[in-house]
Amino acid sequence: MTSAVSVRGLWKRFGQQVAVAGIDLELPAGKFIGLVGPNGAGKTTTLSMVTGLLRPDAGNVEVVGHDVWRDPVEVKARIGVLPEGLRLFERLSGRELLGYTGRLRGLPGAEVDKRATQLLDVLDLAGAQHKLVVDYSTGMRKKIGLAAALLHNPEVLFLDEPFEGVDPVSAQTIRGVLERYTASGATVVFSSHVMELVESLCDWVAVMAAGRIRAHGTLAEVRGDAPSLQRAFLELVGAQGRDTGSHLDWLGGGATR
Amino acid sequence: MSTDGALAANIDSVVVRLKLSLLKNGLKQSGGRRAAYIGSAVAVLLFSVVQFLGLIALRGHAHAGSVVVLLVAVLAGGWAVMPLFFPSGDETLDPTRLVMLPLRPRPLVRALLMASLVGIGPLFTLCVLTGSVIAVAHGGAAYVVGVIGVVLGLLVCVALARTVAAANIRLLTSRKGRDLAVLSGLVIAVGAQVVNFGAQRLGSRGLGQLDGPAEVLKWVPPGSAIGAADSASEGSYGIAFLQLALSALALVALLAVWSRHLTKLMTSPDGSTLQGADAKSRERSSTGLSRLLPAGRTGTVMERSLRYVWRDPKTKAAWVTSLAIGLIVPVFNALQGTGSIYFACFAAGMLGVQMYNQFGQDTSAFWMVAMTISSTRDAYVELRARALALLVITLPYATLVTVLTTAMLDDWPKLPEVLGLSFALLGAMLATGAWTSARFPYSIPQEGYKNVAPGQSGLAFMAILGGMVSAALLCAPVIAGTIWLNVSEGGEQWSWLLLPVGTVYGVLVTEAGLRLAAPRTARRLPEILALVSKG
Repeated sequence: MTSAVSVRGLWKRFGQQVAVAGIDLELPAGKFIGLVGPNGAGKTTTLSMVTGLLRPDAGNVEVVGHDVWRDPVEVKARIGVLPEGLRLFERLSGRELLGYTGRLRGLPGAEVDKRATQLLDVLDLAGAQHKLVVDYSTGMRKKIGLAAALLHNPEVLFLDEPFEGVDPVSAQTIRGVLERYTASGATVVFSSHVMELVESLCDWVAVMAAGRIRAHGTLAEVRGDAPSLQRAFLELVGAQGRDTGSHLDWLGGGATR
Repeated sequence: MSTDGALAANIDSVVVRLKLSLLKNGLKQSGGRRAAYIGSAVAVLLFSVVQFLGLIALRGHAHAGSVVVLLVAVLAGGWAVMPLFFPSGDETLDPTRLVMLPLRPRPLVRALLMASLVGIGPLFTLCVLTGSVIAVAHGGAAYVVGVIGVVLGLLVCVALARTVAAANIRLLTSRKGRDLAVLSGLVIAVGAQVVNFGAQRLGSRGLGQLDGPAEVLKWVPPGSAIGAADSASEGSYGIAFLQLALSALALVALLAVWSRHLTKLMTSPDGSTLQGADAKSRERSSTGLSRLLPAGRTGTVMERSLRYVWRDPKTKAAWVTSLAIGLIVPVFNALQGTGSIYFACFAAGMLGVQMYNQFGQDTSAFWMVAMTISSTRDAYVELRARALALLVITLPYATLVTVLTTAMLDDWPKLPEVLGLSFALLGAMLATGAWTSARFPYSIPQEGYKNVAPGQSGLAFMAILGGMVSAALLCAPVIAGTIWLNVSEGGEQWSWLLLPVGTVYGVLVTEAGLRLAAPRTARRLPEILALVSKG
């Protein structure tokens, strides 16, 4: 099995806080890969380091055989990224943003415009293509970000929480595009904390908690004997059996006073 | 009925207490904020007292009536404009926050009006109005009319602000409203200049010229409420009554409009859920600009930079400030006859500042740039394109300002050397700007009035001041050449040489700066991203 991404001994510390505490991971090529974990597990930090947006304290990352930090020319041309918590150039319209990104990537102008038109159509953004991105809803932002990440036809796509705050219709659209993209042999790595989503989309899963990888492998391997990924995940991160308690005994019925 | 009345009174006190809590909690948030609030409160109070004493001193002056009517009109103008530029100043100003509560418009309007009377602004207004009445009232009847006038005037001012806010709440809570707020600093600066100019004119030509506008404004509420006291002093009780009635009518009309807007606001969907209807009418064509620019990364980056000058409120505010100061300093100095032609270099210097912190202007969207820079060459082209975008505006503007200044001072022989000096300075600013962009980037918060993220002001100060000093030093050879040609005998006939020399020097320095900055940018992409993402 060839690796799309290979991570060795990855560490990141922010002051006293250890965000990522030594990760080793081989992500298989051509798969739909889910990186799951609770909030604060280090998913965003890991993805930022893997894509070259954050410098690790230690460790190295290879994407399709090229070192992210020593060989950025090879790596940056081969990956597409949709980060979480970073802005886009929001004062451009959706179409302008795609035109800008594609040309910055060195694609010929006519080709960029052609691909942008198709992506806007498929992602149901054609009607809003001349609106400024700053006026887009969350779902529309995720979709235009995804379009910008796909524009140069990368080999590996990294998506940080692509479904966060996205309505079901947009989510289905995104899903359709991603499934079609992986079917052609490309790799998608995405992070999420919605287990049902990961379970229905991914063939390969890595579970993160407190800056470490708790389990990884195919969906079946990680799920093990548990009835669902959700259960397996709660066991892995040690959050089983937290009761809501009997303190809310007044709740229910809807009396006004 | 009685329970209804009790309930309404209850709502009044709840909303007023809500306002007080919001004020108090706003102060609790940080010591700095508390200090700023107390500081501004003390300043406003002192100003009120001075104003109050000034108005009392005006008592008996021939033009006192005109002064107070105009003063009240300006005050009312302030109340009308304020909510547009400071929408976040008053939390209770936004009635949409109360939309989930089971309230009827009439008690709500009354409660919100009462809450609006709490604060520094109404207190200041009360001082001005009371002072105005004291300045013009003579005799018991006039004071009675004056008291009614003060109450009416205050209510009209407050109701005016609330009505403007309610009518424009869509704008105020939308992105465009927040964009507008960023430009408010400029409005205040320009407004201060206008007031300054007006005061100077008044000082030189006397208060008599106020009488004309005051004749009209004393019939316009809330000026008419104070004008009534003046009329009553002169024994024209009929006119006084009419003026008071006009103010009362205005108050009722304002409350009615406000109530209607409030009802509409509370019963119709939020603006953010209404979309798409006008999307087609505002198509943006991208053909015009891009056809003129070079192909490849250079043109792409230039196009985005130029678009941002117009579309991004922070960038726009910075540019407008630079353009204005770059013009005002040389031209006003020339107008006053104190100017030197060398002040024309100010335009180049002020605009060159825009090259500083290039990546900070991108905010965290810089990641999109970082993902496409994989070599020193990429970084060089990126920085060069940004410098070129700047030059598209700066070069003609600096030339224009220089020619204008020269024309006003009628010193045409000096034009070539001043232009040469300007271009050399511009080159030096671009060079140091590129380098500091790579070495000392800092975040520009997108919300609010701050231009530096908390904790980074030292960094910003170092970048801008250090950069400007280095730019001046870099220019030293051209400056020395200018001085030498001016003092040496017969040097003046060669001073035209400074134009080509300065231009070439500027180009070379810029190129050197870009070459130095490019490898640093390419090496430090993650660090730059981290530094510019704090806003």
